[in-house]
Amino acid sequence: MLAKEIERAGVPTVFVTSLPTIATMVGANRIVRGPAITHPFGLDEADRRRIVERALEMLETEVEPATVWEVEAE
Amino acid sequence: MAWELATFPTELMGEAPVLDGVEVEIVPEGAPVRVTHVLDAVEPRIRPDGRAAFPTEGKAGEGRTNRLEGVTVLSCLDFPAEERPLHEQESVVDLAGPGAELTPFAQATNVVLTFHPRGGLGNEELEAWARRTTLSVAEELARPTLEAEPQEVERFELGPADPSLPAVAALVQLSDLGPLYYQYLYGVPAGEAALPRAVDPAEILDGAVTCGEYHWAALRNPTIVFQRNALVRALFREHGRRLRFAGVVLMRGYEQSAEDKRRAAAAAAEAAAGLGADGAIVTTDAGGNSHTDAMLTVRACEAAGVRTTAIVAEMADPDSTSPGLTDWVPEADSIVSAGNAEELVPAWRPGRVLGGGRLLDGSPAEEAGPIPVRNYLGAANQTGQFTLTATSW
Amino acid sequence: MVRAVHYLNQFFAGLGGEEAAETPPTRLEGAVGPGRGLAAELQGVEIVATLACGDDYFGEHEEQALASLVELLEAERPGLLVAGPAFGSGRYGHACARFLRTASERLRIPVLAAMHEESPGVGTAEGKVLIVPTAVNVAGMRDALPRMARLAEAVVSGRELGPPEEEGYLPRGFRRNRFAPKPGAERAVDLLLAKLAGEARSEIAGGFDRVPPPAPVPDLSRALLALVTEAGCVPQGNPDRLPTIRAQGWLRYELAGSRSLAAGRYESVHGGFDVKLANEDPNRLVPLDTVSELADEGRLGRVHDVLYTTTGNGTPVASATRFGREIAAELKEAGVEAVLLSGT
Repeated sequence: MLAKEIERAGVPTVFVTSLPTIATMVGANRIVRGPAITHPFGLDEADRRRIVERALEMLETEVEPATVWEVEAE
Repeated sequence: MAWELATFPTELMGEAPVLDGVEVEIVPEGAPVRVTHVLDAVEPRIRPDGRAAFPTEGKAGEGRTNRLEGVTVLSCLDFPAEERPLHEQESVVDLAGPGAELTPFAQATNVVLTFHPRGGLGNEELEAWARRTTLSVAEELARPTLEAEPQEVERFELGPADPSLPAVAALVQLSDLGPLYYQYLYGVPAGEAALPRAVDPAEILDGAVTCGEYHWAALRNPTIVFQRNALVRALFREHGRRLRFAGVVLMRGYEQSAEDKRRAAAAAAEAAAGLGADGAIVTTDAGGNSHTDAMLTVRACEAAGVRTTAIVAEMADPDSTSPGLTDWVPEADSIVSAGNAEELVPAWRPGRVLGGGRLLDGSPAEEAGPIPVRNYLGAANQTGQFTLTATSW
Repeated sequence: MVRAVHYLNQFFAGLGGEEAAETPPTRLEGAVGPGRGLAAELQGVEIVATLACGDDYFGEHEEQALASLVELLEAERPGLLVAGPAFGSGRYGHACARFLRTASERLRIPVLAAMHEESPGVGTAEGKVLIVPTAVNVAGMRDALPRMARLAEAVVSGRELGPPEEEGYLPRGFRRNRFAPKPGAERAVDLLLAKLAGEARSEIAGGFDRVPPPAPVPDLSRALLALVTEAGCVPQGNPDRLPTIRAQGWLRYELAGSRSLAAGRYESVHGGFDVKLANEDPNRLVPLDTVSELADEGRLGRVHDVLYTTTGNGTPVASATRFGREIAAELKEAGVEAVLLSGT
């Protein structure tokens, strides 16, 4: 719901979550799937960097509503 | 300006004139009859001062008008098949059986006029003949009231009201879709009637608006819905109590281009704001495309600072949970449901059929099987005339 | 006797709390945990087996979890599948609804779940699963079980169900007609006056409330990016007492030039998952260290010096919407052009 309301105000928002189905249900549009509920940005710094870069890329991309991007494993 | 509506009992009903090409049948309330191909429903009215009950000049809503209670004139016309208009929809009134509770016309004595198409006349001429004849029959039926004492007189007048009460307007959409899909204001099609226009609310109740629109039967506004309009009556009743009745804006519906739709909505909102309305009730005529006009009107009103409640019918597949609204805007956060027009009404076998023995799909009218609510005249009326509504299961 | 199977998460199946949330699908004999109470209420229905799955396992490996659960279910030749009550737990509710939808499509058997009306599972069900509404937490167990049993008996009987308020299920979204006590016009006057008095109500829910994606950020290397989280990240010790579940509000913390959420200075108080791994390095939930580096490298303009935080755990829709609006207003005020939101 946070993503939807912030996007309603016109600010592109990328939501990193390991539960993308729920994220689409509550109206998020830019979703990056994180690896786990306990650590959506991964465990080490390299994972984290890959996921954050993917998220930034999504902020720069025109998307259809409720788009989910995966992060390629190393 | 005040207007009085005098009510007279059913027994005073006069003789229907003998007309060439028109069968007339008087059906008592509750008879096991199915009426098909129904164009319009009209309450018999006449004016003691000699002016027309459905005027095409002057102003309605002034002086006194007599009405015959408990009588509805139903006009039926099966347009010749080869010329059948593109959008013509089935329109059924059942006077008994499970469909009777959906069509309020079952609770009246019905004077059923069946028009037999005359050779050489096109659809538009046939329609004009049926429409004008029906209104004049309604006037004739009320003639004996001129010699009688009314059982009741209602007075409609907007007196001064507490300025701290919220001002509420009604936005009434009139279809401007094309021939056979026009509503008429003082006999002029909606598209040529300089809409939007603010009118005196009593004009609506006094025959200024008549129906020539034959789209979805359940969702359209037959003439009697304007004559007996529950929304205008409710606002008169509440004036000075919970609100101030700011007036009625008649607006166009069924505009054909996105730009025309936007412009019509903006103009209607401006007219509502011009009446000083704090809030407006937005009504709809027919369905589909006209729902977009209603939603755009909601949006335009909210943008102009006029809060809105809309009345719309739903068209939801009974086996699906997908939303039944054709269109929706986030500003439409206050909606009255006039019912789900797609629900099926159980099959019923009438004792007699009037109006035409076969439905538009060719099936015999006495064995039509389940009929969707949308084919019952007035069942899901979107000026809020009746009580049908839909809830989630 | 109708053979029923009962689905539970790891906690209610007695396999453990958050530390067991990664448990893959498992079969247990007969009724277990709340299933025992349910079995005691059921007439003509017997719970022959319980299937359990860890909430995190289900969320992270949905397809595999569904495949094994359906396989385990088919082996029981059931005439009914029940799940929960999941109460307000979002992950559990989602798993119940997802499994039951799949099972009803594949096995063509009646399915029935129980959860709070604002659980994300209700959205997942999309009207395809009958749901008995429950309280938000386990205190509602005693009230929920008899109502589940009554509806279960009704669905296995094969009779047509009546309206939701009579039968005790959440409306699924099928629109059915009835006659209201007043005409539409009078209801419209009532609704409009209520709206003018500040309370907008509707007979048709705006189920369409979708916000179209805003245009992308034109130039991220010059943009101000803000970090927002639903993962309950707060300064160590939770000085402002952010609730672990059903948050009543959101909090803002000045980052004061920090470039990393150091362990021992920040922690997560989210009550919906095991926070051990996150608290070893809170950047795993809110990657302040990575975005600070990316800003140094010129990939990003700047990082907004405030962290916005709440717990997205059992938070009612209306509250979450309000938090979102309030945070959005601050972000606009601060000139933020892009947001990195982290959840669980």
